[in-house]
Amino acid sequence: MESHGLTYDGCNFFRQRLVLSTLSGKRVKIKNIRSKDDNPGLRDFEASFIRLLDKVTNGSRIEINQTGTVLFYQPGLLYGGAVEHDCNTQRSIGYYLEALLMLAPFMKMSLKATLRGVTNDPIDPTVDLLKSSALPVMKRFGIDGEGFDLKVVKRGMAPGGGGEVVFTCPVRRTIKPVQLADPGKIKRIRGVAYSVRVSPQMANRIVESARGVLNQFLPDIYIYTDHMKGPNSGKSPGFGLTIVAETLNGSFLSAEMSSTPQGQGDPVLPEDLGRNCAKLLLEEIHRGGCVDSSNQSLALLLMTLGQQDVSKVLLGPLSPYTIEFLRHIRDFFQIMFKIEVQKPSEEESKGGDKVLMTCVGVGYSNINKTLK
Amino acid sequence: EDESDEEEATGRAGDSGHCSEEEEEEGEEESEDEEDESGEEKEMESEEEEEEEEQGALRWKEDLQQKASQAFLRQQEAAPNLRKLVYGTVVEADKSDEEEEELGGLFRVNRPQTSKKFTADALDCSRFKPDTSHDWDLEEMLNSIRDCFVTGKWEEGQDAA
Repeated sequence: MESHGLTYDGCNFFRQRLVLSTLSGKRVKIKNIRSKDDNPGLRDFEASFIRLLDKVTNGSRIEINQTGTVLFYQPGLLYGGAVEHDCNTQRSIGYYLEALLMLAPFMKMSLKATLRGVTNDPIDPTVDLLKSSALPVMKRFGIDGEGFDLKVVKRGMAPGGGGEVVFTCPVRRTIKPVQLADPGKIKRIRGVAYSVRVSPQMANRIVESARGVLNQFLPDIYIYTDHMKGPNSGKSPGFGLTIVAETLNGSFLSAEMSSTPQGQGDPVLPEDLGRNCAKLLLEEIHRGGCVDSSNQSLALLLMTLGQQDVSKVLLGPLSPYTIEFLRHIRDFFQIMFKIEVQKPSEEESKGGDKVLMTCVGVGYSNINKTLK
Repeated sequence: EDESDEEEATGRAGDSGHCSEEEEEEGEEESEDEEDESGEEKEMESEEEEEEEEQGALRWKEDLQQKASQAFLRQQEAAPNLRKLVYGTVVEADKSDEEEEELGGLFRVNRPQTSKKFTADALDCSRFKPDTSHDWDLEEMLNSIRDCFVTGKWEEGQDAA
Protein backbone atom coordinates (compact mmCIF):
# COMPACT_ATOMS: atom_id res chain seq x y z
CA MET A 1 0.00 0.00 0.00
CA GLU A 2 2.62 2.49 1.07
CA SER A 3 4.62 2.13 -2.10
CA HIS A 4 1.65 3.35 -4.15
CA GLY A 5 0.21 6.06 -2.00
CA LEU A 6 1.08 8.69 0.54
CA THR A 7 0.70 8.31 4.27
CA TYR A 8 0.02 11.07 6.75
CA ASP A 9 -0.56 11.41 10.46
CA GLY A 10 -3.34 13.28 12.19
CA CYS A 11 -6.49 15.04 11.14
CA ASN A 12 -4.97 18.46 10.48
CA PHE A 13 -4.92 19.57 6.82
CA PHE A 14 -7.53 16.91 6.15
CA ARG A 15 -9.16 18.70 3.23
CA GLN A 16 -5.99 19.60 1.36
CA ARG A 17 -4.78 16.02 1.48
CA LEU A 18 -8.02 14.63 0.09
CA VAL A 19 -8.34 17.37 -2.53
CA LEU A 20 -4.78 16.95 -3.79
CA SER A 21 -5.23 13.20 -3.77
CA THR A 22 -8.35 13.54 -5.91
CA LEU A 23 -6.65 15.85 -8.38
CA SER A 24 -3.44 13.89 -8.66
CA GLY A 25 -5.08 10.46 -8.58
CA LYS A 26 -2.70 9.29 -5.84
CA ARG A 27 -4.08 7.25 -3.00
CA VAL A 28 -3.75 8.59 0.47
CA LYS A 29 -3.82 7.02 3.89
CA ILE A 30 -4.29 9.12 7.00
CA LYS A 31 -3.38 7.43 10.28
CA ASN A 32 -3.62 8.35 13.95
CA ILE A 33 -6.61 10.61 13.56
CA ARG A 34 -7.07 11.97 17.09
CA SER A 35 -5.75 8.63 18.30
CA LYS A 36 -4.81 10.05 21.70
CA ASP A 37 -7.96 12.05 22.14
CA ASP A 38 -10.63 11.09 24.67
CA ASN A 39 -12.97 10.95 21.73
CA PRO A 40 -10.85 9.38 18.99
CA GLY A 41 -11.41 9.24 15.27
CA LEU A 42 -13.08 11.32 12.63
CA ARG A 43 -15.63 13.93 13.62
CA ASP A 44 -19.04 14.29 12.06
CA PHE A 45 -18.00 17.25 9.95
CA GLU A 46 -15.12 15.28 8.46
CA ALA A 47 -17.45 12.40 7.67
CA SER A 48 -19.79 14.91 6.07
CA PHE A 49 -16.88 16.23 4.00
CA ILE A 50 -16.03 12.72 2.82
CA ARG A 51 -19.64 12.18 1.78
CA LEU A 52 -19.56 15.40 -0.23
CA LEU A 53 -16.35 14.25 -1.91
CA ASP A 54 -18.03 10.95 -2.70
CA LYS A 55 -20.95 12.80 -4.29
CA VAL A 56 -18.82 14.80 -6.73
CA THR A 57 -16.63 11.86 -7.73
CA ASN A 58 -17.33 8.58 -9.42
CA GLY A 59 -15.72 5.37 -8.24
CA SER A 60 -13.92 6.63 -5.15
CA ARG A 61 -13.02 4.02 -2.59
CA ILE A 62 -13.09 5.10 1.01
CA GLU A 63 -12.23 2.84 3.90
CA ILE A 64 -12.38 3.84 7.52
CA ASN A 65 -11.46 1.56 10.40
CA GLN A 66 -13.83 0.85 13.26
CA THR A 67 -12.57 3.57 15.58
CA GLY A 68 -12.28 6.08 12.77
CA THR A 69 -8.60 6.70 13.42
CA VAL A 70 -7.41 5.45 10.03
CA LEU A 71 -8.74 6.58 6.68
CA PHE A 72 -7.81 5.17 3.30
CA TYR A 73 -8.88 7.04 0.20
CA GLN A 74 -8.53 5.95 -3.38
CA PRO A 75 -9.81 8.75 -5.57
CA GLY A 76 -12.19 8.20 -8.44
CA LEU A 77 -12.96 10.48 -11.35
CA LEU A 78 -14.36 13.93 -10.76
CA TYR A 79 -17.88 13.81 -12.10
CA GLY A 80 -19.68 16.97 -10.99
CA GLY A 81 -23.20 17.73 -12.20
CA ALA A 82 -26.00 18.68 -9.85
CA VAL A 83 -25.12 17.90 -6.26
CA GLU A 84 -27.04 18.58 -3.07
CA HIS A 85 -25.43 18.27 0.30
CA ASP A 86 -26.43 18.93 3.89
CA CYS A 87 -23.20 20.14 5.43
CA ASN A 88 -22.66 19.23 9.03
CA THR A 89 -23.22 22.29 11.19
CA GLN A 90 -20.08 21.78 13.29
CA ARG A 91 -18.29 23.68 10.53
CA SER A 92 -19.66 26.33 8.22
CA ILE A 93 -20.28 25.85 4.51
CA GLY A 94 -17.02 27.70 3.87
CA TYR A 95 -15.12 24.66 5.11
CA TYR A 96 -16.70 22.47 2.43
CA LEU A 97 -16.77 25.15 -0.21
CA GLU A 98 -13.04 25.88 0.00
CA ALA A 99 -12.38 22.34 -1.19
CA LEU A 100 -15.12 22.44 -3.82
CA LEU A 101 -13.61 25.62 -5.30
CA MET A 102 -10.38 23.72 -5.86
CA LEU A 103 -12.08 20.74 -7.48
CA ALA A 104 -14.90 22.36 -9.46
CA PRO A 105 -12.98 23.44 -12.61
CA PHE A 106 -11.74 19.88 -13.16
CA MET A 107 -15.06 18.02 -13.23
CA LYS A 108 -16.50 16.07 -16.13
CA MET A 109 -19.68 18.12 -16.09
CA SER A 110 -20.06 21.64 -14.78
CA LEU A 111 -20.87 21.63 -11.12
CA LYS A 112 -24.06 22.93 -9.59
CA ALA A 113 -23.74 22.38 -5.88
CA THR A 114 -26.50 23.22 -3.43
CA LEU A 115 -25.03 23.30 0.05
CA ARG A 116 -27.13 23.65 3.19
CA GLY A 117 -25.91 24.42 6.68
CA VAL A 118 -24.15 27.25 8.47
CA THR A 119 -23.30 30.05 6.05
CA ASN A 120 -21.51 32.31 8.54
CA ASP A 121 -19.46 31.47 11.61
CA PRO A 122 -16.34 33.00 13.15
CA ILE A 123 -14.05 30.01 12.43
CA ASP A 124 -14.04 29.39 8.69
CA PRO A 125 -14.13 31.81 5.78
CA THR A 126 -17.78 32.61 5.23
CA VAL A 127 -19.60 32.19 1.95
CA ASP A 128 -19.66 35.98 1.58
CA LEU A 129 -15.88 36.17 1.85
CA LEU A 130 -15.34 33.36 -0.67
CA LYS A 131 -17.81 34.99 -3.04
CA SER A 132 -16.03 38.32 -2.95
CA SER A 133 -12.40 37.19 -2.84
CA ALA A 134 -11.96 33.57 -4.01
CA LEU A 135 -14.08 33.86 -7.15
CA PRO A 136 -12.08 36.84 -8.50
CA VAL A 137 -8.86 34.84 -7.94
CA MET A 138 -10.23 31.97 -10.02
CA LYS A 139 -11.30 34.40 -12.74
CA ARG A 140 -7.66 35.46 -13.14
CA PHE A 141 -6.83 31.87 -14.06
CA GLY A 142 -9.43 31.77 -16.82
CA ILE A 143 -12.24 30.15 -14.85
CA ASP A 144 -14.97 32.52 -15.84
CA GLY A 145 -18.19 32.85 -17.72
CA GLU A 146 -21.90 32.97 -17.15
CA GLY A 147 -22.13 29.78 -15.16
CA PHE A 148 -19.62 30.90 -12.58
CA ASP A 149 -21.48 32.08 -9.52
CA LEU A 150 -21.95 31.70 -5.79
CA LYS A 151 -25.36 32.70 -4.54
CA VAL A 152 -26.45 32.98 -0.93
CA VAL A 153 -30.09 31.90 -1.06
CA LYS A 154 -30.71 31.64 2.67
CA ARG A 155 -28.49 32.80 5.45
CA GLY A 156 -27.94 30.54 8.45
CA MET A 157 -25.77 31.64 11.32
CA ALA A 158 -23.95 29.29 13.69
CA PRO A 159 -24.84 27.23 15.64
CA GLY A 160 -28.29 26.48 14.21
CA GLY A 161 -27.56 26.88 10.52
CA GLY A 162 -30.44 26.57 8.11
CA GLY A 163 -28.70 28.50 5.34
CA GLU A 164 -28.37 27.57 1.70
CA VAL A 165 -25.94 28.53 -1.03
CA VAL A 166 -25.76 27.54 -4.69
CA PHE A 167 -22.34 27.29 -6.29
CA THR A 168 -22.07 26.84 -10.03
CA CYS A 169 -18.79 26.52 -11.87
CA PRO A 170 -17.96 25.77 -15.50
CA VAL A 171 -15.30 23.16 -16.35
CA ARG A 172 -11.99 23.98 -17.95
CA ARG A 173 -9.64 21.73 -19.85
CA THR A 174 -6.55 23.75 -19.01
CA ILE A 175 -5.72 26.54 -16.59
CA LYS A 176 -4.09 29.76 -17.77
CA PRO A 177 -0.70 30.62 -16.30
CA VAL A 178 -0.69 34.03 -14.63
CA GLN A 179 1.78 36.82 -13.92
CA LEU A 180 0.53 38.70 -10.91
CA ALA A 181 3.53 40.60 -9.60
CA ASP A 182 2.04 44.03 -9.01
CA PRO A 183 -1.17 44.37 -7.03
CA GLY A 184 -1.59 48.08 -7.81
CA LYS A 185 -3.15 50.62 -5.53
CA ILE A 186 -6.45 50.18 -3.77
CA LYS A 187 -9.16 52.15 -5.52
CA ARG A 188 -12.26 51.23 -3.58
CA ILE A 189 -13.62 49.27 -0.67
CA ARG A 190 -16.87 47.36 -0.84
CA GLY A 191 -18.58 45.18 1.70
CA VAL A 192 -21.67 43.49 3.03
CA ALA A 193 -22.99 43.92 6.56
CA TYR A 194 -25.51 41.19 7.22
CA SER A 195 -27.93 40.55 10.01
CA VAL A 196 -30.52 37.85 10.62
CA ARG A 197 -33.05 37.47 13.41
CA VAL A 198 -31.83 40.65 15.07
CA SER A 199 -32.79 44.27 14.54
CA PRO A 200 -31.97 45.44 10.99
CA GLN A 201 -30.41 48.46 12.69
CA MET A 202 -27.45 46.24 13.70
CA ALA A 203 -26.13 46.23 10.13
CA ASN A 204 -26.28 50.04 9.98
CA ARG A 205 -24.36 50.31 13.23
CA ILE A 206 -21.65 48.00 11.84
CA VAL A 207 -21.35 50.05 8.64
CA GLU A 208 -21.08 53.29 10.56
CA SER A 209 -18.16 52.17 12.73
CA ALA A 210 -16.29 50.37 9.92
CA ARG A 211 -16.47 53.49 7.75
CA GLY A 212 -15.09 55.52 10.62
CA VAL A 213 -11.82 53.59 10.44
CA LEU A 214 -11.53 53.23 6.68
CA ASN A 215 -12.59 56.72 5.61
CA GLN A 216 -9.23 58.19 6.64
CA PHE A 217 -7.65 56.31 3.73
CA LEU A 218 -10.21 56.38 0.97
CA PRO A 219 -13.48 58.14 0.17
CA ASP A 220 -14.81 55.41 -2.13
CA ILE A 221 -16.30 53.05 0.41
CA TYR A 222 -19.66 51.39 0.06
CA ILE A 223 -20.92 48.73 2.43
CA TYR A 224 -24.25 47.18 1.58
CA THR A 225 -26.60 46.08 4.31
CA ASP A 226 -28.24 42.71 3.89
CA HIS A 227 -31.05 41.81 6.24
CA MET A 228 -32.72 38.51 5.50
CA LYS A 229 -36.14 37.77 6.91
CA GLY A 230 -38.56 34.91 7.43
CA PRO A 231 -37.64 31.55 5.90
CA ASN A 232 -34.40 32.99 4.51
CA SER A 233 -33.00 33.88 7.91
CA GLY A 234 -31.98 30.46 9.18
CA LYS A 235 -32.29 29.19 12.71
CA SER A 236 -29.95 31.35 14.79
CA PRO A 237 -29.60 35.08 15.29
CA GLY A 238 -26.41 36.88 14.39
CA PHE A 239 -24.70 39.55 12.35
CA GLY A 240 -21.38 40.20 10.72
CA LEU A 241 -19.35 42.10 8.16
CA THR A 242 -17.29 41.20 5.10
CA ILE A 243 -15.18 43.93 3.50
CA VAL A 244 -13.07 43.78 0.37
CA ALA A 245 -10.47 46.22 -0.93
CA GLU A 246 -10.19 46.24 -4.71
CA THR A 247 -7.01 47.41 -6.44
CA LEU A 248 -6.45 49.03 -9.82
CA ASN A 249 -4.97 45.80 -11.20
CA GLY A 250 -7.94 43.72 -10.12
CA SER A 251 -6.68 42.15 -6.90
CA PHE A 252 -9.00 41.70 -3.96
CA LEU A 253 -8.00 41.79 -0.31
CA SER A 254 -10.68 40.75 2.11
CA ALA A 255 -11.44 40.64 5.81
CA GLU A 256 -14.43 39.61 7.82
CA MET A 257 -15.85 39.13 11.26
CA SER A 258 -18.95 37.41 12.53
CA SER A 259 -20.78 37.78 15.83
CA THR A 260 -20.18 35.05 18.40
CA PRO A 261 -22.69 32.23 17.97
CA GLN A 262 -25.64 32.28 20.32
CA GLY A 263 -24.75 30.68 23.65
CA GLN A 264 -20.99 30.50 22.97
CA GLY A 265 -18.94 33.13 24.73
CA ASP A 266 -19.46 36.83 25.22
CA PRO A 267 -21.72 38.70 22.82
CA VAL A 268 -20.13 41.48 20.78
CA LEU A 269 -21.41 44.95 20.05
CA PRO A 270 -21.95 45.75 16.36
CA GLU A 271 -19.83 48.90 16.77
CA ASP A 272 -16.85 46.88 18.06
CA LEU A 273 -17.32 44.30 15.34
CA GLY A 274 -17.32 46.93 12.62
CA ARG A 275 -14.23 48.66 13.97
CA ASN A 276 -12.29 45.43 14.54
CA CYS A 277 -13.21 44.11 11.13
CA ALA A 278 -11.96 47.32 9.52
CA LYS A 279 -8.69 46.86 11.42
CA LEU A 280 -8.47 43.31 10.12
CA LEU A 281 -8.73 44.71 6.62
CA LEU A 282 -5.90 47.13 7.39
CA GLU A 283 -3.86 44.15 8.60
CA GLU A 284 -4.64 42.35 5.36
CA ILE A 285 -3.56 45.41 3.37
CA HIS A 286 -0.36 45.53 5.42
CA ARG A 287 0.29 41.92 4.44
CA GLY A 288 -0.59 42.84 0.89
CA GLY A 289 0.10 40.88 -2.26
CA CYS A 290 -2.09 40.09 -5.25
CA VAL A 291 -4.02 37.39 -3.41
CA ASP A 292 -5.20 37.74 0.18
CA SER A 293 -4.19 35.41 2.98
CA SER A 294 -7.29 33.20 2.90
CA ASN A 295 -6.92 32.41 -0.81
CA GLN A 296 -3.18 31.82 -1.00
CA SER A 297 -3.51 28.06 -1.30
CA LEU A 298 -6.21 28.29 -3.98
CA ALA A 299 -3.96 30.51 -6.10
CA LEU A 300 -0.94 28.25 -5.57
CA LEU A 301 -2.94 25.17 -6.58
CA LEU A 302 -4.13 26.80 -9.80
CA MET A 303 -0.54 27.86 -10.54
CA THR A 304 0.61 24.28 -10.04
CA LEU A 305 -2.08 22.89 -12.32
CA GLY A 306 -1.51 25.51 -15.03
CA GLN A 307 -0.11 24.91 -18.48
CA GLN A 308 3.61 24.24 -18.73
CA ASP A 309 4.60 27.84 -18.42
CA VAL A 310 5.93 30.11 -15.72
CA SER A 311 3.42 31.54 -13.28
CA LYS A 312 4.24 34.29 -10.81
CA VAL A 313 2.12 35.52 -7.96
CA LEU A 314 3.02 38.06 -5.30
CA LEU A 315 1.72 37.10 -1.87
CA GLY A 316 1.84 38.55 1.61
CA PRO A 317 3.50 36.49 4.36
CA LEU A 318 2.65 32.82 3.94
CA SER A 319 0.10 31.49 6.40
CA PRO A 320 0.86 28.23 8.26
CA TYR A 321 -1.93 26.58 6.28
CA THR A 322 -0.32 27.69 3.01
CA ILE A 323 3.13 26.48 4.05
CA GLU A 324 1.69 23.03 4.71
CA PHE A 325 -0.14 23.22 1.40
CA LEU A 326 3.16 23.88 -0.39
CA ARG A 327 4.62 20.76 1.20
CA HIS A 328 1.62 18.75 0.12
CA ILE A 329 1.91 20.07 -3.45
CA ARG A 330 5.48 18.82 -3.43
CA ASP A 331 4.30 15.40 -2.23
CA PHE A 332 1.49 15.02 -4.74
CA PHE A 333 2.74 16.89 -7.81
CA GLN A 334 6.54 17.09 -7.30
CA ILE A 335 6.41 20.83 -7.78
CA MET A 336 8.54 23.15 -5.71
CA PHE A 337 8.05 26.88 -5.83
CA LYS A 338 10.74 29.48 -6.03
CA ILE A 339 10.17 31.71 -3.03
CA GLU A 340 11.68 35.19 -3.03
CA VAL A 341 11.23 37.80 -0.36
CA GLN A 342 10.50 41.28 -1.67
CA LYS A 343 11.04 44.14 0.71
CA PRO A 344 9.11 47.29 -0.08
CA SER A 345 11.41 50.26 -0.71
CA GLU A 346 12.17 52.59 2.18
CA GLU A 347 10.51 55.74 0.88
CA GLU A 348 7.20 54.03 0.23
CA SER A 349 4.87 52.94 2.97
CA LYS A 350 3.31 49.83 1.56
CA GLY A 351 3.15 47.52 4.54
CA GLY A 352 5.28 44.49 5.29
CA ASP A 353 7.50 42.17 3.31
CA LYS A 354 6.00 40.36 0.35
CA VAL A 355 6.79 36.98 -1.11
CA LEU A 356 7.05 36.34 -4.83
CA MET A 357 6.06 32.77 -5.66
CA THR A 358 7.20 31.34 -8.99
CA CYS A 359 6.60 27.92 -10.49
CA VAL A 360 6.19 26.09 -13.75
CA GLY A 361 2.82 24.41 -14.05
CA VAL A 362 2.55 20.65 -14.43
CA GLY A 363 0.46 21.06 -17.57
CA TYR A 364 -2.55 19.43 -16.00
CA SER A 365 -5.33 18.83 -18.46
CA ASN A 366 -8.78 17.84 -17.42
CA ILE A 367 -9.22 14.40 -18.89
CA ASN A 368 -12.66 14.11 -17.34
CA LYS A 369 -14.11 16.90 -19.46
CA THR A 370 -16.23 15.66 -22.34
CA LEU A 371 -15.20 16.87 -25.77
CA LYS A 372 -17.86 18.55 -27.83
CA GLU B 1 19.22 33.46 -13.68
CA ASP B 2 21.88 34.98 -11.46
CA GLU B 3 19.45 35.44 -8.66
CA SER B 4 18.44 31.83 -8.63
CA ASP B 5 22.07 30.76 -8.63
CA GLU B 6 22.73 32.99 -5.71
CA GLU B 7 19.77 31.62 -3.90
CA GLU B 8 20.83 28.06 -4.46
CA ALA B 9 24.29 28.88 -3.23
CA THR B 10 23.02 30.34 0.00
CA GLY B 11 20.57 27.50 0.29
CA ARG B 12 23.34 24.94 0.05
CA ALA B 13 25.51 26.83 2.44
CA GLY B 14 22.67 27.00 4.88
CA ASP B 15 22.02 23.28 4.61
CA SER B 16 25.49 22.34 5.67
CA GLY B 17 25.51 24.34 8.84
CA HIS B 18 27.57 27.48 9.22
CA CYS B 19 30.06 27.08 6.42
CA SER B 20 28.67 30.20 4.76
CA GLU B 21 30.71 32.26 7.17
CA GLU B 22 34.00 31.49 5.40
CA GLU B 23 32.74 32.43 1.99
CA GLU B 24 31.37 35.61 3.31
CA GLU B 25 34.61 36.54 5.04
CA GLU B 26 36.47 36.26 1.77
CA GLY B 27 34.02 38.65 0.23
CA GLU B 28 34.43 41.01 3.13
CA GLU B 29 38.19 41.00 2.77
CA GLU B 30 37.96 42.07 -0.81
CA SER B 31 35.76 44.97 -0.03
CA GLU B 32 38.01 45.87 2.84
CA ASP B 33 41.01 45.98 0.52
CA GLU B 34 39.22 48.39 -1.71
CA GLU B 35 38.45 50.62 1.19
CA ASP B 36 42.06 50.45 2.29
CA GLU B 37 43.19 51.72 -1.06
CA SER B 38 40.87 54.65 -1.02
CA GLY B 39 41.91 55.24 2.55
CA GLU B 40 45.57 55.31 1.57
CA GLU B 41 44.93 57.99 -0.99
CA LYS B 42 43.41 60.15 1.65
CA GLU B 43 46.39 59.48 3.87
CA MET B 44 48.73 60.70 1.13
CA GLU B 45 46.87 63.97 0.93
CA SER B 46 46.90 64.59 4.62
CA GLU B 47 50.40 63.31 5.22
CA GLU B 48 51.52 66.28 7.20
CA GLU B 49 48.75 66.13 9.75
CA GLU B 50 49.52 64.97 13.24
CA GLU B 51 49.87 61.28 13.82
CA GLU B 52 47.49 61.17 16.77
CA GLU B 53 44.67 62.54 14.70
CA GLU B 54 45.39 60.02 12.01
CA GLN B 55 45.17 57.19 14.44
CA GLY B 56 41.89 58.52 15.73
CA ALA B 57 40.52 58.70 12.22
CA LEU B 58 41.63 55.20 11.49
CA ARG B 59 40.20 53.68 14.63
CA TRP B 60 36.84 52.99 12.99
CA LYS B 61 38.61 50.54 10.73
CA GLU B 62 39.53 48.28 13.60
CA ASP B 63 37.77 44.92 13.56
CA LEU B 64 36.05 45.95 10.39
CA GLN B 65 36.03 42.43 9.12
CA GLN B 66 34.64 41.09 12.35
CA LYS B 67 31.96 43.75 12.50
CA ALA B 68 30.96 43.08 8.93
CA SER B 69 30.70 39.36 9.46
CA GLN B 70 28.68 39.92 12.60
CA ALA B 71 26.34 42.23 10.74
CA PHE B 72 26.03 39.67 7.99
CA LEU B 73 25.16 36.89 10.41
CA ARG B 74 22.62 39.10 12.13
CA GLN B 75 20.99 39.82 8.81
CA GLN B 76 21.01 36.15 7.93
CA GLU B 77 19.08 35.37 11.08
CA ALA B 78 16.61 38.15 10.45
CA ALA B 79 15.86 37.07 6.88
CA PRO B 80 15.70 33.28 6.90
CA ASN B 81 15.80 31.34 3.69
CA LEU B 82 12.11 30.83 3.05
CA ARG B 83 12.61 27.98 0.68
CA LYS B 84 14.46 26.07 3.36
CA LEU B 85 11.81 26.94 5.91
CA VAL B 86 9.07 25.59 3.71
CA TYR B 87 10.68 22.59 2.10
CA GLY B 88 13.43 21.93 4.65
CA THR B 89 13.65 18.79 6.73
CA VAL B 90 10.35 18.66 8.53
CA VAL B 91 10.60 15.07 9.66
CA GLU B 92 13.21 15.71 12.34
CA ALA B 93 10.77 17.40 14.65
CA ASP B 94 8.62 14.40 15.51
CA LYS B 95 11.39 12.17 16.84
CA SER B 96 11.73 14.02 20.13
CA ASP B 97 8.46 13.12 21.79
CA GLU B 98 8.53 9.43 20.99
CA GLU B 99 9.72 8.50 24.47
CA GLU B 100 6.68 7.48 26.37
CA GLU B 101 6.67 7.02 30.10
CA GLU B 102 5.92 3.59 31.38
CA LEU B 103 4.37 2.86 34.74
CA GLY B 104 5.49 -0.38 36.32
CA GLY B 105 6.52 -1.68 32.93
CA LEU B 106 2.92 -2.38 32.06
CA PHE B 107 1.00 0.76 31.41
CA ARG B 108 1.81 3.69 29.22
CA VAL B 109 0.98 7.22 30.19
CA ASN B 110 -1.18 8.46 27.38
CA ARG B 111 -0.32 12.13 27.29
CA PRO B 112 -2.92 14.22 25.60
CA GLN B 113 -1.46 16.28 22.77
CA THR B 114 2.15 17.29 23.19
CA SER B 115 3.59 19.90 20.85
CA LYS B 116 4.03 17.92 17.65
CA LYS B 117 0.94 15.79 18.02
CA PHE B 118 -0.99 18.91 18.69
CA THR B 119 -0.26 20.30 15.24
CA ALA B 120 -1.01 16.95 13.65
CA ASP B 121 -4.48 16.90 15.18
CA ALA B 122 -5.08 20.63 15.26
CA LEU B 123 -8.08 22.37 13.76
CA ASP B 124 -8.05 22.25 9.98
CA CYS B 125 -8.66 25.91 9.20
CA SER B 126 -7.28 28.21 6.52
CA ARG B 127 -7.62 31.41 8.56
CA PHE B 128 -4.40 33.31 9.12
CA LYS B 129 -4.49 34.94 12.54
CA PRO B 130 -3.43 38.60 12.45
CA ASP B 131 -0.14 39.70 13.95
CA THR B 132 -0.95 40.74 17.51
CA SER B 133 1.95 43.18 17.64
CA HIS B 134 0.20 45.43 15.15
CA ASP B 135 -1.91 48.02 16.90
CA TRP B 136 -4.05 49.71 14.30
CA ASP B 137 -4.94 52.55 16.64
CA LEU B 138 -1.44 53.97 16.29
CA GLU B 139 -0.77 56.65 13.72
CA GLU B 140 2.55 54.95 12.95
CA MET B 141 0.85 51.73 11.82
CA LEU B 142 -1.71 53.63 9.78
CA ASN B 143 1.08 55.51 8.03
CA SER B 144 2.84 52.26 7.15
CA ILE B 145 0.15 51.38 4.58
CA ARG B 146 -0.76 54.85 3.27
CA ASP B 147 0.79 54.30 -0.14
CA CYS B 148 -1.25 51.16 -0.76
CA PHE B 149 -4.18 53.38 -1.61
CA VAL B 150 -4.78 55.56 -4.66
CA THR B 151 -4.82 58.49 -2.27
CA GLY B 152 -1.21 57.77 -1.24
CA LYS B 153 2.08 58.68 -2.87
CA TRP B 154 2.66 57.42 -6.42
CA GLU B 155 5.86 56.27 -8.04
CA GLU B 156 7.43 58.67 -10.46
CA GLY B 157 6.20 58.22 -14.00
CA GLN B 158 2.92 56.69 -12.84
CA ASP B 159 1.53 59.82 -11.28
CA ALA B 160 -0.91 61.56 -13.55
CA ALA B 161 -0.36 64.95 -11.90
